[in-house]
Amino acid sequence: MTQSGLPPLIKTNNLVKKFGSFTALNGVNLEIHPGEVHALLGDNGAGKSTLIKILSGVFPATSGEIEIEGKPVNFTSPRDASDAGIGTVYQDLALNALTSVTRNFFLGREITSFNSPFGLMKMKEMDRIASEEMAKIGINIADPEQAVGTMSGGQRQTLAIARAIYFGAKVLILDEPTSALGQKQQMEVLKTIKRVQKLGDIAIILITHNEIHARLIADRFTFLSLGEVIGSGTAEDLAGDDIKTLMAGGAEIGDLTKELESI
Amino acid sequence: MSDSTEVRQEADRHAPKRHIWTMFARPEIGPIGVMILLFGMLGYFSIPAAESTWNPFAGEGFNALGIRNNLRVISQLGIIALGAGLLIIAGEFDLSIGSMIGFAGACMAMILRWGFAILIPYISFEGGIHIEYFTVLSVDHVTPIWAIFITMCFTLTFGWIQGFIVVRSGLPSFIVTLGGLFFLRGLTEVSLRAFNHRPDQSAGSTTVTEIPDLKNIIDLPEYGELSRLDAKSLPEADLVSMAQTLPSDTIATLTERLAYTYNRVAEAKTAIMEAKGVKPLEKALENAVQSGNEYMVNAIQDKIENFSITPVVPKNVSDVDVARAYIDTLPTVNKVADFFGGNILEALFDWLYFPIDWNTNNFGNQFAPGLYSCVMIWVILSIFCYIVLSRTQAGNWIYSTGGNLSAAQANGVPTNKVKISLFVFSAFCATIFAACQVFEVNTSDAAKGNLKELEAIAAAVIGGLVMTGGFGTVLGIIVGAFIFGLAREAFFYIPGIDGSFYRVFLGLVIIASALLNENIRKRIMGNI
Repeated sequence: MTQSGLPPLIKTNNLVKKFGSFTALNGVNLEIHPGEVHALLGDNGAGKSTLIKILSGVFPATSGEIEIEGKPVNFTSPRDASDAGIGTVYQDLALNALTSVTRNFFLGREITSFNSPFGLMKMKEMDRIASEEMAKIGINIADPEQAVGTMSGGQRQTLAIARAIYFGAKVLILDEPTSALGQKQQMEVLKTIKRVQKLGDIAIILITHNEIHARLIADRFTFLSLGEVIGSGTAEDLAGDDIKTLMAGGAEIGDLTKELESI
Repeated sequence: MSDSTEVRQEADRHAPKRHIWTMFARPEIGPIGVMILLFGMLGYFSIPAAESTWNPFAGEGFNALGIRNNLRVISQLGIIALGAGLLIIAGEFDLSIGSMIGFAGACMAMILRWGFAILIPYISFEGGIHIEYFTVLSVDHVTPIWAIFITMCFTLTFGWIQGFIVVRSGLPSFIVTLGGLFFLRGLTEVSLRAFNHRPDQSAGSTTVTEIPDLKNIIDLPEYGELSRLDAKSLPEADLVSMAQTLPSDTIATLTERLAYTYNRVAEAKTAIMEAKGVKPLEKALENAVQSGNEYMVNAIQDKIENFSITPVVPKNVSDVDVARAYIDTLPTVNKVADFFGGNILEALFDWLYFPIDWNTNNFGNQFAPGLYSCVMIWVILSIFCYIVLSRTQAGNWIYSTGGNLSAAQANGVPTNKVKISLFVFSAFCATIFAACQVFEVNTSDAAKGNLKELEAIAAAVIGGLVMTGGFGTVLGIIVGAFIFGLAREAFFYIPGIDGSFYRVFLGLVIIASALLNENIRKRIMGNI
């Protein structure tokens, strides 16, 4: 699936982020290609969250630059990032569980007459689009007026992803999409990600703790530890044991086994 | 595509429950039940003791005057409940509504009574240090629309400030608006005393009276603008000559109408006198039966049977009466004052009196002139709020701001603007409430609107809103206002119990509704 021939959608050069005296990211280089699932792996505190927050415009980098399709960009707000085509699906999914699927799908970007907040929403059109867009990545919702609170975790994840894609995301950042879900729903989310990948022109950055999931769907891997990239490569480049080792930030799992035995 | 069928099954899990389930999951279903119960209670308890009927609409609660008075209480509460309710849906509170009503009413009344001026104080050194005032603007007679506009400037600004403090500081709106509650009430009392100050007393009263009855000022040809009351008490000769200049069809309509009224009054008088005359005879008959005096029993029975009084002769319709009736039909000059403090549906209520004869009191006169216009304002505001909340982008923003603030922000909803606008809207509703009161009764009092903020919140909660926000409908808020107003009236009519039991009842209803709402909310939220 890897389409290394195409230029990268996003490229970061030497991204550094400092919070006071603490260095969260120390010169990260990353290349994200369209049609690829790029797994971003690392232990807690490795700098994954900081990296995606910079990419999605929550805060700026201290130094280094981000290029989108070869052009350097400067994000001052999450709005800039989403306008540039970076759609971030956070862990909490940014959904309002009390309202309907359609209302969530179009939250903040409702289709209204007169283009004013007090213009009437075109509910039928919005219902149709929401259903269609979710069906494209594999979920047929019975009723677009269903409250999001009554949907399963996997369906909610799909809703958030479909929303990001519909509103022009070329790069989809998924922040631990499987972490709070049951086994069956995790599989559902993975299928959804695979379907998005098959659309061909969207790049996916998948942040996860789960190396099994990463190995199932990712085309390319980047490992972070203590704010630095400690390894990267395509699925073919990396053998199974490497992934496990790199996930733990370079520590030997074998050592752990010995340590545990000695207790 | 085997997996898409599998996914569809997952999605359809909620579908079979849909019809009945969603009906009971609707937040208004409980309140609507309580409202119907209260309608029935009000109807049955207000049926006069002498009558036995199964028709609840025969009760006094549903005669013309009962409807007029009930709807006034309900709609006034409904107006502020809309402001409070929308704010609650967005996850914030406004405890300053009651004080805002007092403040707005006092402000409006003072402007109408004494005019409006902008003064700039400065320290003058001529003849010892003292404070002088530079007058920027001074208007003695302010029209109602300007009085409302100037008041709105104050109240909406105050609402904006409260909202701004809440969103900027992150303090709970409970505390910020609690401050507003005391601040505004105090400010109202202080300024009313200051303006009412007389040399002979240390401090003035906290009321404004003697505002002209603006909604009843008419433009009478040849006499200019004057109040209806003054016009009717013009010298009789003037009234007669006025009546003679009227077109003949106007005179005919007015005469017909007046003749009908005089006939009805005469009939009612005759009926009352008959009842009055027979009553002592019936009492005497009872005594006679008890004492066993057969002669007396027969004599009294005979007297009752033959009892009759000469029917009261209806008054003749004179030219003066026609002129006075004509003055009543003239339109008001102050459309704005009439819009807030006048009556609506007067034609309908007229028709219900003549020729329908339903809107007639025991003395044969027309019972209710119409509904208070605050009912119309409530209806307009309710429709506006319903459309905004359920059908527009702004409504979706309000729901999401209260339902999940961070989600709303992440999706680019201007949550701070939403909240501030709703604080302003809440102040707007309070000002409208005050305008209705001031133009209706032509007085104002610093104590006006006391505890109204809590009543508004109570109505909203009864109507299915959840204090944490994001949940509820305008229909619910309307039903909540109905329950509040109906309970008050219904308990008043229950024989032999203290009318204040309505508060006991409402207390229980509030707790029950809150429990129910929370339950429904959890059902909708599902198992997160």
